Amino acid sequence: MAQSVSVKICTGTACYVMGGANLLMLEECLPEHLKGRIEIEGTSCMGYCSLGEKGKAPFVMINDQLISEATLEKITEKIKTMLE
Amino acid sequence: MNNRYFLEVDYYHEYKYRQLVGGDVFLSRKIKEENRVISVLSDGLGSGVKANVLSTLTSTMASTFISNYIDITRTAEIIMKTLPVCKERKISYSTFSIVDIDEHGDTRIIEYDNPPYLLLRKAQVVDIDKSTRKVEGSSQKKVDVQYSRFQTEKGDRIVLLSDGVSQSGMGMAGTPFGWGMDDVARFAVSLIEQNNDISARELARKIVQRALANDAYRSKDDITCGVIYFRNPRNLLIMSGPPIDKAKDIELAHMVDSFSGQKVICGGTTANIVARELDRKLKVDLSYIDPDIPPPSLMDGVDLVTEGIITLCEASEILKSGDVNRLPERGNAAQRIVHMMLNNDSIQFVVGTKINDVHQDPNMPVELEIRRNIVKKIVKILEEKYLKETKLQFI
Repeated sequence: MAQSVSVKICTGTACYVMGGANLLMLEECLPEHLKGRIEIEGTSCMGYCSLGEKGKAPFVMINDQLISEATLEKITEKIKTMLE
Repeated sequence: MNNRYFLEVDYYHEYKYRQLVGGDVFLSRKIKEENRVISVLSDGLGSGVKANVLSTLTSTMASTFISNYIDITRTAEIIMKTLPVCKERKISYSTFSIVDIDEHGDTRIIEYDNPPYLLLRKAQVVDIDKSTRKVEGSSQKKVDVQYSRFQTEKGDRIVLLSDGVSQSGMGMAGTPFGWGMDDVARFAVSLIEQNNDISARELARKIVQRALANDAYRSKDDITCGVIYFRNPRNLLIMSGPPIDKAKDIELAHMVDSFSGQKVICGGTTANIVARELDRKLKVDLSYIDPDIPPPSLMDGVDLVTEGIITLCEASEILKSGDVNRLPERGNAAQRIVHMMLNNDSIQFVVGTKINDVHQDPNMPVELEIRRNIVKKIVKILEEKYLKETKLQFI
């Protein structure tokens, strides 16, 4: 179990139009008891969108795990499994 | 404009309280081939749509005729004879002030019934001799037109006002006869004393807002102020897109580093290249989130870092709409770019021509333009509508 997680949300063009804009609201959707243990950052284009084999935008990196077609639900789930 | 100085022309206006259209029109035109700028402020009889038709006609005709070297007296005559006659008042009437400046700073100003222009030099009002010319008006009556000619110096500002400024506050306890030209001039001088480099836009805005305050925020007339400011050009570099050849990455980074002026990078990949080559940190600034425009980033030595194509498209839309006076200063990334464009005179675009394949994916929910095309569009609007000097370089 990790003590804290870092969440990097891609704000590049492809990620942003494919739904990344909503992901920036992540902090507001998190359960209260997890908030203090999560560090949310934006990042400029990470380049995964052009690789193809990594899946589709939007991309989010949680610690060292890449999530493709990220949604708020997917991210929250992932964070929970890492922290709880 | 030329090497000696740059002409910054801008204006600000408020309509008469509860009017949706203004009777004041400020129009500027830059003739690039001749390095000439012509600005016209016109105030049509009455207010609202009728007045707007009069003043739009007047300013358009004036700038067209003067730019084609048609004699000023003749221009004034044609305008007065062309304007439609008001049904109620039986006159056709619209005031005007026309400023014509060439590349050497030779300035000619023609005024008809507007408050007199102010020439401000080193935070002082300079008096200019004016000669009166008789022009035939609409009803065979001769009217007086003021003509003046002088040589401008670097740092000079010419301020054009509609009577909504000079007469603001009329009837109020503090200003029973209105603000008055002497006090307007004193106010303008005090603004320059506070900030020697105040931009044309800011000076015009502050004068108009003060006039609006004089009217207790219910303007009794359209309030318009236009400012022409002669100064050293302010430079802005806008870099967008990775070079087609990776070997040029370092060249791109050095261009950013060595540029003297404000710098903007539009595009995550471009920003990553510059950060890598110059060994700088890049951090997304999440202090202001906009659902449509990706947030800007921070990098040492660069004034603004934004996402690329969405931001540029939005900036282009804002510039095209012309609705730039009420933009928040710390708004989204596109609004910030527009602010920087308007506050600078000479804007250099360096555009990488590598095409981002991901953007051409038909599954994208929005259509993304090709960078080169959107930049070309922006360049055209900046030149024609905002009288900016631009350079466009592909890499």
